[in-house]
Amino acid sequence: MGAYRADEDYDYLFKVVLIGDSGVGKSNLLSRFTRNEFSLESKSTIGVEFATRSIHVDDKVVKAQIWDTAGQERYRAITSAYYRGAVGALLVYDVTRHVTFENVERWLKELRDHTDSNIVIMLVGNKADLRHLRAVTTEDAKAFAERENTFFMETSALESLNVENAFTEVLTQIYRVVSRKALEVGDDPAALPKGQTINVGDDVSAMKKVGCCSA
Amino acid sequence: MSITGNNNIPHGIPLSSGGGGFWWAVAGPNSRIALAVTALAGIAVFAALFYTTSRGHLKSPWSRRKRKHALTPRQWGRLFTPDGKLHDGGVKFLKKVRSGGVDPSIRAEVWPFLLGVYELNSSKEERDTIRTQKRKEYEKLRRQCRWLLKHSNESFKLNGSSEPSGNVDSGSLVQDMDSSSYEDVVSARESLSSEERSLDVEYSDDPSSTLLEVDDNSRQQMTNTDASALNTESSDSDSSEDPEAVIQASSSSGQENNGPDEPSKEFTSPSRTELHSSAPAAENFATWQRIIRVDAVRANSEWIPYSPSQASVSEDRARCSAEAVGLKDYEHLEPGRIFHAARLVAILEAYALYDPEIGYCQGMSDLLSPIITFITEDHEAFWCFVGFMKKARHNFRLDEVGIRRQLNIVSKIIKCKDSHLFRHLEKLQAEDCFFVYRMVVVRS
Repeated sequence: MGAYRADEDYDYLFKVVLIGDSGVGKSNLLSRFTRNEFSLESKSTIGVEFATRSIHVDDKVVKAQIWDTAGQERYRAITSAYYRGAVGALLVYDVTRHVTFENVERWLKELRDHTDSNIVIMLVGNKADLRHLRAVTTEDAKAFAERENTFFMETSALESLNVENAFTEVLTQIYRVVSRKALEVGDDPAALPKGQTINVGDDVSAMKKVGCCSA
Repeated sequence: MSITGNNNIPHGIPLSSGGGGFWWAVAGPNSRIALAVTALAGIAVFAALFYTTSRGHLKSPWSRRKRKHALTPRQWGRLFTPDGKLHDGGVKFLKKVRSGGVDPSIRAEVWPFLLGVYELNSSKEERDTIRTQKRKEYEKLRRQCRWLLKHSNESFKLNGSSEPSGNVDSGSLVQDMDSSSYEDVVSARESLSSEERSLDVEYSDDPSSTLLEVDDNSRQQMTNTDASALNTESSDSDSSEDPEAVIQASSSSGQENNGPDEPSKEFTSPSRTELHSSAPAAENFATWQRIIRVDAVRANSEWIPYSPSQASVSEDRARCSAEAVGLKDYEHLEPGRIFHAARLVAILEAYALYDPEIGYCQGMSDLLSPIITFITEDHEAFWCFVGFMKKARHNFRLDEVGIRRQLNIVSKIIKCKDSHLFRHLEKLQAEDCFFVYRMVVVRS
């Protein structure tokens, strides 16, 4: 222990996964949020990749560790291992391709099969800038999100529309869940929902450990 | 994965024969495009790791090797006998390529030999025959692709509101594959309708005649070629994982018993069939068609310096080829990249039909890109890709068995060679080495 030191201080480290069909823009949402970058020629994600960014919620520093997964079915077995310990998820579809919205249900099921029931999920309709090509109405998606009890937002990684809001909202909601839980159960970390919090100064493995016990 | 050009790294990676390891790589001086296939991921990954660390002034294990010169066009010409055979069965040729790589200007000629499209001891005449056969076989696959695209377009719109989940009248035109391995793709066979005769083909042949022709000989030849030229067998691969066995099986169980005069036997399935398999989650040809296009359009432009002819293609030609393969959403691209994307689609789609057990998996476009950069004829590039995939395809299996095995090997090597690093990875719960997934599967 102790060989690894986090390069910054944070109060909470939350693992968030980005899921959804191939080509809906998951990697660009991630790069927009973590590096403020967007690329039309981003390569397809193979396996999993991740990036981090810290934001402030109330007076706390929340570090998001965001896992970007390959959209193709065949990478599913290996990527689903990465759901382990996730406390938040952005389930992305492409507003211009209806099939990616139809598949949301399947993604949701898989997510719920592999994660804690407290996970915060946001349905994200990306590519909202392509107004003339829209194939999924906001109303349909909103209705679905209400039915499934998830948050919902439309984004454009290209125009940087709502990307910040979507991630911030998810992280804030996770923070609410976690701090509420903390209030309910007192300071006993063992009673916390698994994989959800990490205290200042702890290293990544501490969070991993909690996540591990939950799996 | 690739070993990119770097001062600390030799430009040719050995094509070794023993020990279950197989390597093939070609890279000219200062090249950043290289191909490498490995059956032993560990070494490859380590090469990559060392390559990365070499930037931090850590010596690569390859750096001690003396770098040789690449095979030049002149030397290449002198390697052949008057009837167009390589001297001494290509031993000298392989040795030269192993130690020094291939000059970029002759890659298009050399790669088909290295990738088993041509046997090393073939004569010019034999190669011409094979080339013609293989061109026809590729064109046939392309016709099948176009037919499938056209017919799926009738029940759905590619950019429209749904996946092609509807029933598609009449089935696949693929004959020379084992239908049992074809589950998720259309497997119904039906006599050719008048519609197909009128389908707008890129080639003048009447599809109804060529669609039923048998190209098994060329397939068989291909298989044999590979065994000798590519040194493919790795001692630890069992037959179920051996791509060659699979391909051999598909070629032998498909058409051999089923000569061209008995086409009716091929049409064993009901005439109406679903593009979707029964399991909603499974991939199918329609899925592949869609993802191939998504990936082709976003393919990056790092190949451009190596293919000025492709980069400078006219806008008309680029749009024409894009239309021919049903490419969409490419308006933001320059002609050269549209053309590149269209070629990717054509070849990857043909491959998905040719090898339906693998179909299309993301990452394959990254592997094909360097091949089409140097090889201007689609049919030739296709067969080179087939040769390349014989070694790489197990990484792309739907059940992920191949890749898991590779990652496991990487993990073991790290554990054995650098226990400190391994303990660190364990602490991060990353000892499964998923983080090298991309490195193993593609080249970056």
